[in-house]
Amino acid sequence: MSDVNSVAEKMGIPADLVSRSADARAAAAGTTSADVLSAWGGGGAVTSAPPEVESTEAPPDEADAPTSSQPEPPAETVVAPPDPAPMPAPIPAPVGEPFVPTTGEPPVLVGVHDNPWSIVTGVIGLFVAVLLLGLVGPSIPVDEPGARTSAVALTEAGLAGRDLYGNLGCAGCHTQMVRPIIADVGIGPVTLSDTNQVLGVRRFGPDLSNIGNRMSGAQMESTISGGAGHPASTLSEGSMDQLVTYLLESAPSGGGS
Amino acid sequence: MATSRSSDIRALLGGGAEEDQVAVSHFLIGAGYLVLGGILALFALLSLRFPDQSPVSFGRIELMSNTALILGFAVTTLTGGIYYALPRLTGARLARVGLARLGLFGLTGLTGLGMLSVAFGYGDGFQPFGIPWWIDIPIALTVFVPALVVFATLANRVEQRSYVTIWFVIGGVVWLPLLYVTSTLASLPFANSLFDAFGGGFLTAGMANLWILTVGMGLFYYSLVKEVGVPLASRQLAAAGFWSLGFAAAWWGAAQFTFGPGPDWVDGVAAAFGLALPIGALANAANYSLTLENSWEKVSEYPGVTSGVIGSYFAVVVGSLAAFGSFPSIASAVSLTSFWEGIEYAALLGLAPMLAAGTVFSAVGRLVGREIPDHQRRVRRFNAMTVVGAGGVLISLVAAGLYSGYSWIGGSNSAAYTDVGEGWAQASGTTVGTLILIAVGFGVVSLLGQFAYAGVVFGTVTTGKSVPQEVLVSRVGDDE
Repeated sequence: MSDVNSVAEKMGIPADLVSRSADARAAAAGTTSADVLSAWGGGGAVTSAPPEVESTEAPPDEADAPTSSQPEPPAETVVAPPDPAPMPAPIPAPVGEPFVPTTGEPPVLVGVHDNPWSIVTGVIGLFVAVLLLGLVGPSIPVDEPGARTSAVALTEAGLAGRDLYGNLGCAGCHTQMVRPIIADVGIGPVTLSDTNQVLGVRRFGPDLSNIGNRMSGAQMESTISGGAGHPASTLSEGSMDQLVTYLLESAPSGGGS
Repeated sequence: MATSRSSDIRALLGGGAEEDQVAVSHFLIGAGYLVLGGILALFALLSLRFPDQSPVSFGRIELMSNTALILGFAVTTLTGGIYYALPRLTGARLARVGLARLGLFGLTGLTGLGMLSVAFGYGDGFQPFGIPWWIDIPIALTVFVPALVVFATLANRVEQRSYVTIWFVIGGVVWLPLLYVTSTLASLPFANSLFDAFGGGFLTAGMANLWILTVGMGLFYYSLVKEVGVPLASRQLAAAGFWSLGFAAAWWGAAQFTFGPGPDWVDGVAAAFGLALPIGALANAANYSLTLENSWEKVSEYPGVTSGVIGSYFAVVVGSLAAFGSFPSIASAVSLTSFWEGIEYAALLGLAPMLAAGTVFSAVGRLVGREIPDHQRRVRRFNAMTVVGAGGVLISLVAAGLYSGYSWIGGSNSAAYTDVGEGWAQASGTTVGTLILIAVGFGVVSLLGQFAYAGVVFGTVTTGKSVPQEVLVSRVGDDE
């Protein structure tokens, strides 16, 4: 009789897995683990094994699916317990004929003959269409050059401050975008498509597109450091100066509130 | 000792075929990131309610939470689901298993690195991840891995007929890298402000619709039919669901900039095309229900089936709210408010885990040869906490968004807030604060649901009772 270790060695599978699987197999077959191990070790088949332990799911389910008497080659085989043959070698079944459906159930995972590469073409085409409509088109500035611009003049320190604005996650709570709707009345001049500020997507805190016209540098520094219910940011003096410079320069033409 | 450790890990992963071990590895790492993302999401809600008490701002914690939940959990877990289902649907060995393993380790490490970069102030601040471009580029390379593996496998397929899951898998693995690359371009220094903003919205909406919904629902078509043993109700409904989801991809991102500085036509297009989202979700949910028509009484016996079905209807609710918020008349009130935060949290804390569970709970036991311990109770607990938690967060934040949006309008009309731009809180009073606090409470419940999910996955792998294991075998006479 083969013991667990010799079977495990033969199968190339960890011993505890072989043991666990043998127990499960024995319970399912109404025999003993020793008999199962013996069978796996080359001592013969587990003759009492019921067919339920092996089932094969072949595709077919729809109109052109074959009948269950002529199933397609199986795409998947369920073997209980572990198949003794290590992948990837083609392997004979441990017991029975694992490649023949034995459940009598009709196969349910059914497909139709088609070419998956046509799906690839379709999904790429759809993505390009959505990309053009949903990202590229909206990102092209549309406003004609006119009397007003939303592009603020940023110094070198202001540009560095704008990067810091992103690094610190300010855009998670602040917009720099004024829309021509009632909810935004009083904030500042409406933002045009030539803006170079960070638009943001939530307004949990105040809009900052026109903050340069509303607050002094000292007020900004106090708020950024934790005043007025604002989360405290510990910035070096140089970084604080850059951030405040960016905010002070955030004063597009067209007047304040 | 290296060899014994390797052997132990192999045993833990089920000891089956290499591709199945890779799939289980994805499930385990994904479950870990789900819990981490859930914890960060809870902290984000707390920092929204108590901004001055938070050591890190909401703007950064939220980005970290999104990264953990989308890249760490949803991308990783659903990729594992693809590696599980694909060989079983094509009859071919999973190709490039080593590359799949490398992709997992790469994405796992880069996700963690991206989160740390945001935490330490190196992020770029753009939704949904805020990861700087020099980490975005290697991530963009790793998200090509599932496509390479899938196409190499499809090239060797034995089964010539395509089950519907194959479409969704192909769509997901093609769209994921394209989405990531285009959105990374939008965050590069040369991009203008509009491209930055729409790129962030495009990526957020795309990750939810083109990856989480598409792959999650597609894999559930496989798990559902396999578990219950009845044929799919309608291939046509599945096709409608698939293409509608692809079509709906971008619009909840663009809709958040309604009346913004982008072209006016975007507002109308976003509203009209956004309707494709609930239609796609409903087509798939209805298809699942029709498939289960005569099997409802047995549904709770199958791990994951209840989760997947509930998740699909959750998708209908979330998609309907997103379409509702896209109409210009509604968007003028709710854009920029917590209304959209509620939708995004519901997608990440509710939809993604429920749809993932639809496949993972079915697959993990089969792959490792163990039963989910006490599965009916554990799965029921996960379902209940996730639905109540994520649903509660959704309702609270949507209500807070509606209240604050209409307060801005009311304030402007009454001239009571001449400086309404000075603050969301000033315009909305304590009501919104209370609603956010309620959302925090539901966030705790949701987090318990995420722990329950991880408990099912880790519990099955480590302590589940032995059951027959599903092992891939090559057919006699097949070549390698």
